Amino acid sequence: MFDPRESLSITQDGDRLIAKARQDGIETVWERHEAQQPQCGFCDMGLSCRICIMGPCRVDPFGEGPQTGVCGADADIIVARNLCRMIAAGAAAHSDHGRDLVEVLAGVADGTAVGYKIRDEAKLKRLAEEYGVVTGDKTPLAIAGELSQAMMEDYGMRQKAVKMVARAPKKRQEVWEKFTLTPRGIDRETSEMMHRTHMGVDNNWQSLLLQGMRNALSDGWGGSMIATEVSDILFGVPTPRPTMVNAGVLKEDQVNIVVHGHNPVVSEMVSKACQSPGLIDLAKEKGAQGINLVGVCCTGNELLMRRGIAMAGNHLMSELILSTGAVDMMIVDYQCIMPSLGKVAGSYHTRMVSTSDKAKFPHMEHHEFHPDNAEKKAVEVVRSAVENYVNRGKVFIPVAPQEAVGGFSVETIVGALGGTPEPLIDAIKAGKIRGAVGIVGCNNPKIKHDYGHVTLTRRLIENDILVVDTGCVSVATAKAGFKVPAAADMAGPGLKEICNALGIPPVLHMGSCVDNVRILVLVAALANSLGVDISDLPVAGSAPEWYSEKAVAIGTYFVASGVTTHLGPMPPITGSMNVVKLLTSGLKDVVGATFAVEPDPEKAAIFLRRHIEDKRKALGLDARTVE
Amino acid sequence: MKQVVVHPERCVGCMQCMLACATAHSRSLTLFAAVQETPQPKPRIHVGAGRFNEGFPNRCRHCDPAPCQMACLAGAIYRRDSMDTVMINPDRCINCASCAMACPYGVIRFHEDPLGPVGHAIAVKCDNCSARVAKGQVPACVEVCKAGALTYEEMDAAMRRKTRTVARSMSVDTDPPAIPAGVALLKSIKQSELQLSGS
Repeated sequence: MFDPRESLSITQDGDRLIAKARQDGIETVWERHEAQQPQCGFCDMGLSCRICIMGPCRVDPFGEGPQTGVCGADADIIVARNLCRMIAAGAAAHSDHGRDLVEVLAGVADGTAVGYKIRDEAKLKRLAEEYGVVTGDKTPLAIAGELSQAMMEDYGMRQKAVKMVARAPKKRQEVWEKFTLTPRGIDRETSEMMHRTHMGVDNNWQSLLLQGMRNALSDGWGGSMIATEVSDILFGVPTPRPTMVNAGVLKEDQVNIVVHGHNPVVSEMVSKACQSPGLIDLAKEKGAQGINLVGVCCTGNELLMRRGIAMAGNHLMSELILSTGAVDMMIVDYQCIMPSLGKVAGSYHTRMVSTSDKAKFPHMEHHEFHPDNAEKKAVEVVRSAVENYVNRGKVFIPVAPQEAVGGFSVETIVGALGGTPEPLIDAIKAGKIRGAVGIVGCNNPKIKHDYGHVTLTRRLIENDILVVDTGCVSVATAKAGFKVPAAADMAGPGLKEICNALGIPPVLHMGSCVDNVRILVLVAALANSLGVDISDLPVAGSAPEWYSEKAVAIGTYFVASGVTTHLGPMPPITGSMNVVKLLTSGLKDVVGATFAVEPDPEKAAIFLRRHIEDKRKALGLDARTVE
Repeated sequence: MKQVVVHPERCVGCMQCMLACATAHSRSLTLFAAVQETPQPKPRIHVGAGRFNEGFPNRCRHCDPAPCQMACLAGAIYRRDSMDTVMINPDRCINCASCAMACPYGVIRFHEDPLGPVGHAIAVKCDNCSARVAKGQVPACVEVCKAGALTYEEMDAAMRRKTRTVARSMSVDTDPPAIPAGVALLKSIKQSELQLSGS
């Protein structure tokens, strides 16, 4: 049971700031989670349905009460519909984020997105060619215009498949064709998912789940992939850069501005404004040494990947960071921003600024950023942050920052290997690296903060498994010290040798949560290079502390792409053992990969190691027995 | 005589019983109107979280002899024998909280109640839905419990049923398990999560 004296985080800054927040009378996510106990069992099992108002309905898991909703849907249908709607919401979130970037790209082309520009022309051309845009001797702006139009078509209904599906290995594309999983249009699949789950449409739980997979693939190989690729064009392809992580990145003697959310469209402009000499002078006038921009959550990851900007924390740290009293302004865009933040900030001098027309929050000032005014708006809000510095009260910065290296895009990884994935494949074939696991996803108060991420990562690298991570995981492992080249000493002998030879850490930061698609691109490249399907590779995915609908979409596109994926917390599906069995074993016969649920990261590590050794064996490589 | 019987292993923690209880003890008797009444009706059954965050519906046991009744110097607490129910007379309650101190189960609350005197907090607890039962209805908490954690039955019948379940669980495994696989799976995951989130 919840005991407020118990440690809720494995991180020192987390624990110290939880104590500070309590002392300041701040209610955090852990208290609210406790207040929700016991959580509704019908909902936890996926057995409650609020889709229509003949209901709401619930099915008695003990078999004596109602076994169907008013419409007649049984447990299998209700559980499948609920899960599919989670996928649709997750895919919608990522894809709408991608849409905002396509709009900026179009704005750059027609000159309306002031302050944004094409940073990587080579990538723009590569993408344009993939989309069938004739580049010839057209100017970059003309290409950008045509590419943005072509990407908008990906969102619609005029084509047979979203374009970047072609990046997947041929064998994988054939699997998708065979089971009608090829995503046709990004918005189309989400829209169809919502249609099918309306009362009286698709009432076959298997075909619902197939559409769920197609919807997730429209995110993974569509909306999210567009978000990442267009971000690279507009803001640069990430390259490895040193950075600092944890709450110690806040500076006592500087104006601290924290960006929180997901979309680099806002944070990149804020970053630019923070470097403006006029505003730095103003900060000095106010008695500060300068302006210190740091991130939390994925918009922080976007800046870290491309600019080496420091990272203050992940999802469960977002309230705690404010309790330092050192944050002069927090600027948010969208996704994973707890609506409690405005209230928390109210206990300090911190000014809270919301920026998206799609995302407003209680107790925040709203300054709406659009591509045509973002540059100007960013200067305005940074100026008010600087002016707020003089209002600071007592500051508590709990720890010294930890060094880390981020910025491992696929381009960088392949570059570090000498231009082809061959050296990595050779290391895997030789057994020095057993395989790779992408650890992704969120924090969840149901799991001790960062315990799942850090424990699993440690166990995998110890056993010569390369870890790539994104999102909240990447912050947890960076804080734990896994993201410096010297961390190779924590790896098994084979992985250590490779890391030392390349000068890389054993855990590679691949970006934000939309950047999970970088992992798809990497596994596709490995599979293509070996002439096999993704599902044949000694790789796996894991989300040890996931909480969000976006994570459901990500997990599903991983599995549908052939990557077996472990989940820490249980999704709301136990109301239907048919759905549980399909997702945890039946899918093997469909897409060659499954889900596995295990809250304990020690046990999950054993499962993932076994999975990797099994895949090695099937490829004819040496395989170890995992005890 | 029928009584409300609690089957804790079946509680899914949805708290529907709490909403239904508060509504049944409102003036309007409908959920939508009840939430807007002043004073607000409050539930007299309380779902607590167990060691593994599983639900437990905690309600008055209507003890006999009842410690609350013995502690009530004002004589507000009495036993209605016809319903085997411990009742509180709102007009005699002096809000001294002696009953709550005596109650081993912590099921007595103090607040102004729609069915009590105006502007005055009193002791409030489960009355076995005497008003509903008088109209031939079952207690509100039982009516809404879709998981069978609360039943309204003759105690003898409930005991016989329990005995049979226990007896059958002792025989060789011919019967399906007492707890369905999905419920058992969720429970084991929640226990595991909880162990990991704490120490």
